This record gives sequence, structure tokens and C-alpha cells, in this order.
Amino acid sequence: MNKLGDSWLLSLIGLTGLAVIVSLYLVFVYVPTELIMGIVQRIFYFHVPSAWVGFLAFLVAFVAGIAYLMQREPRWDMVEVSSIEIGVLFSTIALVTGSIWARPIWNTWWTWDPRLTTTLVMWLYYVASLMLRRVVDSEDRRARFGAILSIVGFVNVPVVFLAIRLWRTIHPVMFSSEGFEMAPGMLLTLGSSLVTFTLLYLCLLVIRVRIEYLSSELSRLRQLSIPARS
Amino acid sequence: MKNFWYLFAAYTFIWTAVFAYIYTIAQRQQALEQDIKALQQAMERRIGKGD
Repeated sequence: MNKLGDSWLLSLIGLTGLAVIVSLYLVFVYVPTELIMGIVQRIFYFHVPSAWVGFLAFLVAFVAGIAYLMQREPRWDMVEVSSIEIGVLFSTIALVTGSIWARPIWNTWWTWDPRLTTTLVMWLYYVASLMLRRVVDSEDRRARFGAILSIVGFVNVPVVFLAIRLWRTIHPVMFSSEGFEMAPGMLLTLGSSLVTFTLLYLCLLVIRVRIEYLSSELSRLRQLSIPARS
Repeated sequence: MKNFWYLFAAYTFIWTAVFAYIYTIAQRQQALEQDIKALQQAMERRIGKGD
């Protein structure tokens, strides 16, 4: 990676660090405590952005999958696999923090609610797709297989998003056709956390794609070194 | 401060997961950079010997 790329990445990391500090201040100091749920409602400010980044990451993987099938450029495969991995991380965070939040509010760690169930199905699918990719030896076939998996898997993402609108559910609806149903201070804090998590996703994606690039460089160098050995 | 421990557990999990992932990818990057360097050096030595 060149020096321009490095300074750009360092600026992005610095901006993300700053955004994390601002968000933590807003969540723990600025925002008022919710009247009914109390302080445990503050989980919401990082739970929703985690779910959002999961959706965003799977959308990016879906687009990269289509781009790979159209152009057969290895860089799209690098973006696709990296984005899925990060999406799985943030979906895990959304599932676990949701479960922790549910315990005092719903009096259970888990319930087979449509939103929770579809999220779990989505998570399982992408975890399985990361595992299945590794089974394929040929780089080109692995990339094609991964692209198809990311495209097919994305079908479930709108279902997860719409689950609370399509079916009867106990999961709260955050925004409706009338807009966001929350106080301005809470909306500001949520907005800040959404920006922070999106920046965090971008940082992780850039670093993770770099690793994929280094890995392909290593494979290339190893192939080049074979004639020298023989 | 009712339910404080749930809040604490959630935020601890979030940052532990994020930092564990960052640590893992940093380790992977470091290992790959070392492998590439070692391979480049080995190839340069072979070229130098005229193999």
C-alpha cells in the first residue's frame, strides 16, 4: 500500500476514534435516561448501529458479489469476503446485546420473535458461507462460489428489516411513516452512534481488504518461487 | 441504577468483540507481512546465486 493510502487510513482511524469518544459521551453523559426502561435502554444506542452495520456490510458484499461475477476482478472477491466477515461480527454484537437488553425488559434472554428469528437465520447463513468458501481449493471457483453465496444470502436481509412490519412482534419499531418516535436528544445520540459505527466499519473493511491483498500477493510470490526451486 | 449490570455486560461485550477482532486481523497482517518478506529474501538470494 502506498503512503497516500496509509495517511488516508490513519486519518480515517483518527476520525473514527474521535467519533467513538463523542458517541460514548452522548450515550453515558448527555442523553437523558429513558423513563420506563431506565439505564438499560442505553444499550439501544450501540445495539441499533451494530444491526445497521451488519445490514450495510451484507449489502456491500452483495454488490461486490455482483461486480465480481460481471468483471471477474479479484478485488471484488476481497471486498465481498471482508465485508461478510465484518458483517458477521456486528450481527453477533446486535444479537448478543439484544439478548442482554431483552432479559430485564422481556424477562427472557431469547424468544422466537420474527425479528430475532430472521436475524439468527441471517447470521447462521453468513457464518456458514464463510466456512463453505474455505472448502473450495481453486481461487477462481472459490470467488465465484462466494459471490453467489453473498447474492443469495442478501435475499434474507430485507426480510430481517421488514420482519417487525410484516408480522406481529414484540420487537419495538424504531421509525415509521411518521418518522422517528423519540426525543431529539435521543435521536442525536443515535445518529452519532450510527455515524461512528459506519466509520468503524469502513476502517475495518479497508484493513481487512489489505489482508486479503497481502494474502493474494503471498500466493503469487509462492507460485513465482516454484520454478526457482525446481 | 437498576439493571446497571446488563448495561455493563452489553458494552463490555461490544468492545471486547471489536478489539478481539482488531487484534486478530492485526496478527494476521503481521504474519502475512513476515511471510512475504521471508519469501522475497529467499527469492533474492536465489537470483543472486543465479539459480
